[in-house]
Amino acid sequence: MTTEPAKIPAIEVENLTVSFGPRPALLNVSVTIDQGLLVGIIGPNGAGKSTLVKAILGFVKPDLGTVRLLGSSLDDAKGRLAYVPQRGAVDWDYPITVYEVAMMGRYPNIAWWKDPGRQDHEIVNQALEMVRMSDFKNRQIGGLSGGQQQRVFMARALAQGSDILLLDEPFAGVDAATERAILDVLERARATGRTLVVVHHDLATAAEYFDRLMLIKQRLFAYGTPRQVLNQDLLSEVYEGKLKVFSGMGKAEECHA
Amino acid sequence: MPDIIYSAFAAPLRETFFQKALIGGSIAAIVCSVVGCLVILRRMAFLGDALSHAMIAGVAGGYLFMKILFNTEAHAPAMLIGSLIAALVTVASIGFVSRVSRVKDDTAIGIMYTGVFAGGVVLVSVFRGYIHIDLMHFIMGDVLGVADSDLWVAAISAGIVLSIIILFFRQFQLTSFDPVMAASIGLPVALIDYALTTCVSLVVVSAVSMVGVILVVGLLITPAASAYLLSDRLDRMMILAAIFGVTSVIGGLYLSMWLDSSGGGAIMLFCSLQFIVILVIAPNYGMLARWMRLRNSLPQQLVEDVLVESSRFGKTVDLNQLQRKISHSKAAFTKALKGMSRNGLLEINDNKLTLTEAGSVEANRILRAHRLWEAYISHVGAASGSEVHHRAHELEHVNDVESVDYLDDLLGHPIYDPHGAVIPASDSHCSTGGECSLSYLREGMSAEIIDLPAEGSDSRLNKGTKVTIGPRRENQTEWIIFLQDGSKVALDHETADAVKVRITSISS
Ligand SMILES: Nc1ncnc2c1ncn2[C@@H]1O[C@H](COP(=O)(O)OP(=O)(O)OP(=O)(O)O)[C@@H](O)[C@H]1O
Ligand SMILES: [Mg+2]
Repeated sequence: MTTEPAKIPAIEVENLTVSFGPRPALLNVSVTIDQGLLVGIIGPNGAGKSTLVKAILGFVKPDLGTVRLLGSSLDDAKGRLAYVPQRGAVDWDYPITVYEVAMMGRYPNIAWWKDPGRQDHEIVNQALEMVRMSDFKNRQIGGLSGGQQQRVFMARALAQGSDILLLDEPFAGVDAATERAILDVLERARATGRTLVVVHHDLATAAEYFDRLMLIKQRLFAYGTPRQVLNQDLLSEVYEGKLKVFSGMGKAEECHA
Repeated sequence: MPDIIYSAFAAPLRETFFQKALIGGSIAAIVCSVVGCLVILRRMAFLGDALSHAMIAGVAGGYLFMKILFNTEAHAPAMLIGSLIAALVTVASIGFVSRVSRVKDDTAIGIMYTGVFAGGVVLVSVFRGYIHIDLMHFIMGDVLGVADSDLWVAAISAGIVLSIIILFFRQFQLTSFDPVMAASIGLPVALIDYALTTCVSLVVVSAVSMVGVILVVGLLITPAASAYLLSDRLDRMMILAAIFGVTSVIGGLYLSMWLDSSGGGAIMLFCSLQFIVILVIAPNYGMLARWMRLRNSLPQQLVEDVLVESSRFGKTVDLNQLQRKISHSKAAFTKALKGMSRNGLLEINDNKLTLTEAGSVEANRILRAHRLWEAYISHVGAASGSEVHHRAHELEHVNDVESVDYLDDLLGHPIYDPHGAVIPASDSHCSTGGECSLSYLREGMSAEIIDLPAEGSDSRLNKGTKVTIGPRRENQTEWIIFLQDGSKVALDHETADAVKVRITSISS
């Protein structure tokens, strides 16, 4: 895993309040995420998970509070952050190949009068290799399964070369095998020292997948190791008691600790 | 004077051509508009345009067919059937192309209709020796020269189309709203689509002779779009559309008489103007209505300022005095007062403003939010000095009870904000008979304990113990309560939160 100790936190959120009306979507959220971690954001529907991601990206303006990325303010940190949105917003019949989609991640780094350089091609190839989509390079994106499409967009985010990746529900609507494949990509990305923040819905797998969990429902209820966060009292408070007990929660902890 | 009116309105009515134009035009306009409603809801406006153009090939084909086989000139039924066939062929080929390839619908329409149209144009020009039809007539239409046969055609196709739409109204409605669901309950969606496009072909065919190829699409969609701005139900939209279609024909025909212009052009001009008028004045979706809504919506900040300032003065304030406190224009201020009194927040008598019960509660809630936000902002150090007040002023609209209570708890239920002003107690908790944590109560309130932690609390406190709240000590972190025998108990924040009480009195 990461060799040198990372001192500057990847993401620092301080006293964040975001509102769209009388009831704030996020209230007094403060959290510090260290570099090189794979972090899951959990919480019920409407809890403000997507809003938190958007606030970190600078897409929504907070009423109060600050976000710092790798020690610098949001404006200075543009480009150090890549975002993988939920699937569906693009035209899948668009005449474009997997390789070209991944290359789009390099566009911010290529001057408009130039073609992608050798380095860009290398990075794109590496990214596709990392998501194990090299064999599909020349496929049109419509001819892929849902999970493969998701991985292509992850490759694009990786090709951006950002140190921090935000993913909004990458596991939504994919089968078990694809879920493993995506998780595998996340773990490989973490192994290169990147910090990944993932909105996740499935509590049953949360402990196994993530180094740290963030439990939110308007407020930050807990941030810590899965064992700390997935405690019955907290969960029944946040999910209003509509949850079964999860057994074997601490199991995954040993391997990441 | 009456003479002018007579010659402008009544005289044309005595002319047979005008009567025929009126009847034929109205029939065509009614069906066009009704079908048009489905067309615009399915976003198929382009299809109407395509079909009308494609028909020219059918007209030429029908003409040639009769001429060559039976040597009859301009056999109307044959030309009609020809144009119907051309329209249906176009529809079918559009469906085919978009199904078997990745080419999208609108592109397929563009390809197929221009192809068929071009075929018609070539046909007519190659056989110009045989075919004696005036392309210009076909393209521009001639509503003032409507023949009896045209009337019949219009009437019969209108009858067929209207019956189909009325009979299968629900099927059309569902397939245009949610085709997937329609298919899942077993409706033949493809068939219904074909029925709709056939209807479109029929009405286009019957209207083309009057308004021409180019304008027919306007008659199909413009009245329907006008109706769309006015109604939220498909059946009403269809009825309104039909009415707008007829008014366009009547208005347009008179216009053409007065201006001595082309009939079809005048009808569509009138139709478009009618749409623009409706666009402006429509009560819900019109521009005027939107503008009025924007104008009438009360600025939230102003409303909150009025509430809070008046409650600072006590419940009744002189209006002039109040206005000096508020940094909005006189007009906005007056409007806000009107709106607020309509909403039952305040009453105005003799230039004096009195907050109603609801108004005071609201004011209290906002003031509480404001002062707690001030305390929070200082607490986390997000701002300092006068900036604290400004930020809190912006944030006081974030005043949802639960969120504000969270801040209150986070800050240890403070009584004073950083400027030393009293933070109002929570109305939603502190009402007589209400149940809440003891920590929300303020000095002088009395209550009965209904629940308390099993261990760790003072042995003198039990369920049913009656207590009166005393002052807060130790930098507001210690709750002092008096028991009935006069003895005193001190509680920390955590215990005060855990002790649940029913309030018996809120005044000392
Ligand atoms: N643009 C907006 N305008 C108004 N309210 C919004 C807006 N975006 C989000 N909200 C509100 O903010 C709250 C949090 O929304 P958010 O999308 O962050 O939830 P979430 O945790 O991502 O939920 P889910 O699990 O359903 O995706 C919700 O109550 C939502 O209604
Ligand atoms: Mg979300």
